[in-house]
Amino acid sequence: MNPLRNLARHPVRTALALAGIAVTTAMLLDMVLLAGGIERSFAQLLLGRGYQVRVSPRGTLPFDTEATIPGARGIAATMRRDPAVEAVAPIVGSSIHARRGDSLVTLFGYGIDPAAQALYQVTAGADLAPGDSAGLLLSAPAARVLAAAIGDTVVLVSRLDPQMAVAGSSRTVVVRGVVRWLYDARDQASVGTLVPVMQELAAFRAEDRVSAFAVRVTGDADSAAARLRAALPSLEINSVGAMVLRFRERLTYFRQLSLILGTISLGVTVLLVGTLLTITVNERRGEIATLRAIGVARGTIVRAVMLEGGALTTLGGGLGVLLGLATAEQLDRILTSFPGLPAAISFFVPDARSLALAAAVLVITGIVAGAYPAWLAARAPIAETLRTEAT
Amino acid sequence: MPLLVATALTKDYPMNGEVVHALRGVSLTVAPGDYVAIVGPSGCGKSTLLQLLGGIDTPSAGSVALEGTRLETLGDSALTRLRLTRLGFVFQRFHLLPVLSAAENVELPMAEAGLPRDARRARARELLRYVGLEGRAGHRATQLSGGEMQRVAIARALANRPALLLADEPTGELDAATGRGILDLFRRLNDDGATIVVVTHDDRLAGEAGRVIHMLDGHIVDETRGAGR
Repeated sequence: MNPLRNLARHPVRTALALAGIAVTTAMLLDMVLLAGGIERSFAQLLLGRGYQVRVSPRGTLPFDTEATIPGARGIAATMRRDPAVEAVAPIVGSSIHARRGDSLVTLFGYGIDPAAQALYQVTAGADLAPGDSAGLLLSAPAARVLAAAIGDTVVLVSRLDPQMAVAGSSRTVVVRGVVRWLYDARDQASVGTLVPVMQELAAFRAEDRVSAFAVRVTGDADSAAARLRAALPSLEINSVGAMVLRFRERLTYFRQLSLILGTISLGVTVLLVGTLLTITVNERRGEIATLRAIGVARGTIVRAVMLEGGALTTLGGGLGVLLGLATAEQLDRILTSFPGLPAAISFFVPDARSLALAAAVLVITGIVAGAYPAWLAARAPIAETLRTEAT
Repeated sequence: MPLLVATALTKDYPMNGEVVHALRGVSLTVAPGDYVAIVGPSGCGKSTLLQLLGGIDTPSAGSVALEGTRLETLGDSALTRLRLTRLGFVFQRFHLLPVLSAAENVELPMAEAGLPRDARRARARELLRYVGLEGRAGHRATQLSGGEMQRVAIARALANRPALLLADEPTGELDAATGRGILDLFRRLNDDGATIVVVTHDDRLAGEAGRVIHMLDGHIVDETRGAGR
């Protein structure tokens, strides 16, 4: 009583059921990936360069507001005194301009310390050397906007004075490399210079202001963050783990929605498989009564029907996983193109645990869905059924 | 010692709000090697009697004992096991599994009984040869003619070497020529020692039996001798 052979008796019906299960599986999988994916992606993004602690102005998260931290060198020195601190990366972020012909192009400017940086990966050319105050790093979109290549000269212009509406100081720099800024939105035109250069262009130099710090520590990041908080109470200091937790709280409704939609898709699968198997069992009442008559045990019949349910959901689920991964990729592309989101973040992150969870839930669902029809099949009175079938 | 003893069997069941008295105190004894045909008009209770003898239905009163075991004392599992190992059933409509080959249909009861695969295959081959279908072993049930399907059903019924073969109208769905082949097969089975109880409308089939039991309105009204033993 091979379940696959039984399913092959009605190929069109089975194909339709498989398609239905595949669609609901794809929905379930996407919901599972969505429920945990953005959180995992967020954690991966924050830990991308191995910096586990973030320092930002009190009451904010890094780059949440335009607030800045004064006295950066002193703060960095305080943090470095903690024995667990391996590296402190000061980060300046500000909108600046670059000259292109007669016009100004607005860019996002990063100030970085190349010796301790948590923000970018070089994709072409070279990184900035320590002390290279004439060097510039570009994102690929910035290179396009400025029509600049490695070795070209770019004139950066400081922020416009909102009162005077005229440009401030300018600085001529040379493109050393093209980089991928980890937190940039898709097509964001960003450039990077050494911290002092960007501070000057952003008018942060006088008070030695930075936007945030990323800190790399050894050992437990939460303990290190707690010590740094105690040492620098005027700042917001969080481990990435704590930030992910806060992020998770913000996503509670999102996760609940995923759970509800996932549950609905499971319910649809149960109804689909249950209906199909009930129809199948009713069609095969005579055959099942015959099997019982010739001595086939109830358990064998129940197992056969439930195996059919399991086979249906396994096959449909397999197709559904492929469909789910394909739709997740498409949906991810749409969602990550929303303005302001880092391009590197992903809403749907496939991982073995999610896939295994979805597969296990589905197969169990299929078997459970087969339980009622199996019970029907096993309980049918043999003689009465044979009598009915004979008329 | 008789193989089968049925004592004062009655069977009532509801139909359309009324009680149908299918059997009214039927007693019957079958000895090893008997070939018994049960005949009578439609609705006289012969198929119901066969179902009670085979333990696929329970009597309203009375008892059935097979090889000394009273069927009404057995639970569902034990009764199912007894049907599997000590009884063989042949139905009017064959009831083969259409997705299985002829050989796989024959192997089915042996697989359920837990026989190893090699032994099952060898026995299925032997039985298909016996019923004249050795060349059709790999064909699906749906690829066989009516007569061939009934031969496969008979081979399936013999798979676990039953003590008693029960057949309900085995030629009912077959044309005369094909039915003749099935009659011959039953004749040969009985000659080879099988005990057979067959319910039939077919006078030729009844004529082959050693004992012919005549039923009317839920009673056994007569028993005559047939051509067989």
